[in-house]
Amino acid sequence: MTYDDFLAGDPLIITAALTGGVHGKEANPNLPETPAEIGRAAAAAEAAGAAVVHLHARRPNGERSFATERFQEIDDAVRRHADDVVIQHSTGGTGAPAEKRHLPLRTDPAPEMASLDMGPLNRYDHLTSENTRWMVDALHEEMRERGIKPELEVFNDGHLNEVHGLLERRELADPVYATLIFGGGTLTPPRPRNLRNAVDNLPEGALFNTLGFGRHQLPFATMGILFGGHVRVGLEDNVYYRQGELAESNAQLVERVVRVAEELGREVASPSQARDILGL
Amino acid sequence: MTCPFLDYRDSAGDRTFDTARAYCTAAERFVQPMRADVCNDRYDLDHASDCEIFLAHEDELDEAEIGSEVPTEGPDA
Repeated sequence: MTYDDFLAGDPLIITAALTGGVHGKEANPNLPETPAEIGRAAAAAEAAGAAVVHLHARRPNGERSFATERFQEIDDAVRRHADDVVIQHSTGGTGAPAEKRHLPLRTDPAPEMASLDMGPLNRYDHLTSENTRWMVDALHEEMRERGIKPELEVFNDGHLNEVHGLLERRELADPVYATLIFGGGTLTPPRPRNLRNAVDNLPEGALFNTLGFGRHQLPFATMGILFGGHVRVGLEDNVYYRQGELAESNAQLVERVVRVAEELGREVASPSQARDILGL
Repeated sequence: MTCPFLDYRDSAGDRTFDTARAYCTAAERFVQPMRADVCNDRYDLDHASDCEIFLAHEDELDEAEIGSEVPTEGPDA
């Protein structure tokens, strides 16, 4: 995807990462944690312009859950509150055993999409989310069996090699869809040239989603729009609206990026258009 | 065995929550949900080797506290 795709006016898919699993209400009390809160947040994000919601599950006290039943409760709430939004489950899980990582894929119906972390990622001072090739292949195999579209999460440039390696090992349905992630730590440093470089190193025909953590969310979303990609925003990745001011909601972050897209003349994709673009 | 610095609280300072959350008495703050898995030694995680806060404050514990189990683990999903 290129600036020509932007000029061609391809619709922009906005993914709202509503809750996450790393921080919670201790970071921003407006972050939804319970199934009912997540369901209402999904509806508001969809109304604001999000076509996809990226979901994690939590225990009642906000802590991480990988249980299929908990994802089912959340999906049920999203479908009850939202209209037609695409549901995307996380399969991430620092420190969690491999078998737990498969559980979010086993709801009924299966999620239309699920994340697939493309390699290792450091957390805190002593943890690494390993995401070995064996684990990636096993998760992809279950996604293939269940008809789930993988969203390839590229945390740094080495993971671009892993995307190519995955395509050599396994057959992925077109179009390949990769989220390019920028921030501190193990992530690709958040510099505009690094986004351009990552896009240039994607497989031929791949679509990309743009994710900047923290203060980089809006600038990288804007660049993603201009480079013909898609964007992810939400409280999982950024709890602030601007410096020193907590975001009021996921919808507030979606509304802002919709305004940017509209000012730049890029149509925002409906869930139906997103399904066509992603081949769901 | 859970971290001896772990407590579950529904309020601290000016912060209040509907459900008690993981609170680190060493750092004196509510901890991130992902870190709470380390505090609770869930999966293969171990606070004694995986938590930099515990390691920085370990010498503040007396012998009776080291190795004691704190029955405050949060509810299961």
